[in-house]
Amino acid sequence: MNTDIPWNLLAPLIFIQLILSVVGLISLYKAESTRGPKWLWVIIILCGSLLGSVAYFVVGRKDVS
Amino acid sequence: MRQFGLFFRKEMLEMGRSYKWLWVPLVFLMLGVMQPIVTRFMPEILKSAGNMPKGMTITMEPPSGAEVMAQTLGQYNSVGLLILVLSLMTMISGERQSGVSQMIFSKPVSFVSYTAAKWMSMFSLITVSFVLGYAGAWYYTVQMIGSVDTGAALTAGGFYLLWMWFGGSLTLLASSLLNPAAGIAFVSLGMALMLTMASGWFPRYLAWSPGSLPQIYVNGLLEGQGMTEAAGALIISMLCILACFAAATYRVKLVKSKI
Repeated sequence: MNTDIPWNLLAPLIFIQLILSVVGLISLYKAESTRGPKWLWVIIILCGSLLGSVAYFVVGRKDVS
Repeated sequence: MRQFGLFFRKEMLEMGRSYKWLWVPLVFLMLGVMQPIVTRFMPEILKSAGNMPKGMTITMEPPSGAEVMAQTLGQYNSVGLLILVLSLMTMISGERQSGVSQMIFSKPVSFVSYTAAKWMSMFSLITVSFVLGYAGAWYYTVQMIGSVDTGAALTAGGFYLLWMWFGGSLTLLASSLLNPAAGIAFVSLGMALMLTMASGWFPRYLAWSPGSLPQIYVNGLLEGQGMTEAAGALIISMLCILACFAAATYRVKLVKSKI
């Protein structure tokens, strides 16, 4: 089967995904504590693609005050 | 006015610190770009999914540009609204629970400028995210699928933006009324869903309700019609947003006077 993956079209999507994961991981690294163990959030951000990082930003982050 | 400016700057800063200015627009952009790509490569995706019976062939009409744009907006209506509600839900209740609002209101500040700043920052986050995502979807649709009528796309986008503002207003109102975040998300999403469904069931009586906005933009995009009810729905939706704002302000004031 001929599956030409159109990388030039997918590049922006991968780029956005990369930004979200990296920023999520940086914020996770800098955070003093999160809801739930940190190692779990690392796995979720890395494996959960788009929804993983969103879940971290919505649920995992504790607002610093 | 000076107070409003201060509060507005504070809200913006807070949204930046909690990374909302980063991830909400990016997620919207991703949602918008994904739909044209998935639609364009749907035959290939189905082929490589591989669990089709032998000899079965699927013939699909290549969709028009307007159809793909309508699908993208449908995507925003489900996932996009969820993302917005999740990102906005603790805007008022969070400050109430952490004691920040008690601290703010121990000074003589106006409640209106406090809630107005919340509303304005909500509007700006939604507008930036949606315009970015919609522009991305438009660009990709034109590049990969076909041209879209500019006027229809702009009108549909405008109506859709109003619908998102309405959803955000519902969320902020719920946030001023309830404490648990899950309850806020549930109430505001449920209200938006019920309004949409109700105007699908009783189109004659609810043609002007904010819930008919999604239908109006789909019609406008696909057939370039359905604009007679549009003006009514437009005005009623703006009034509803104002009513949500007034109710939330009143509620904030009420909670304050009980302390």
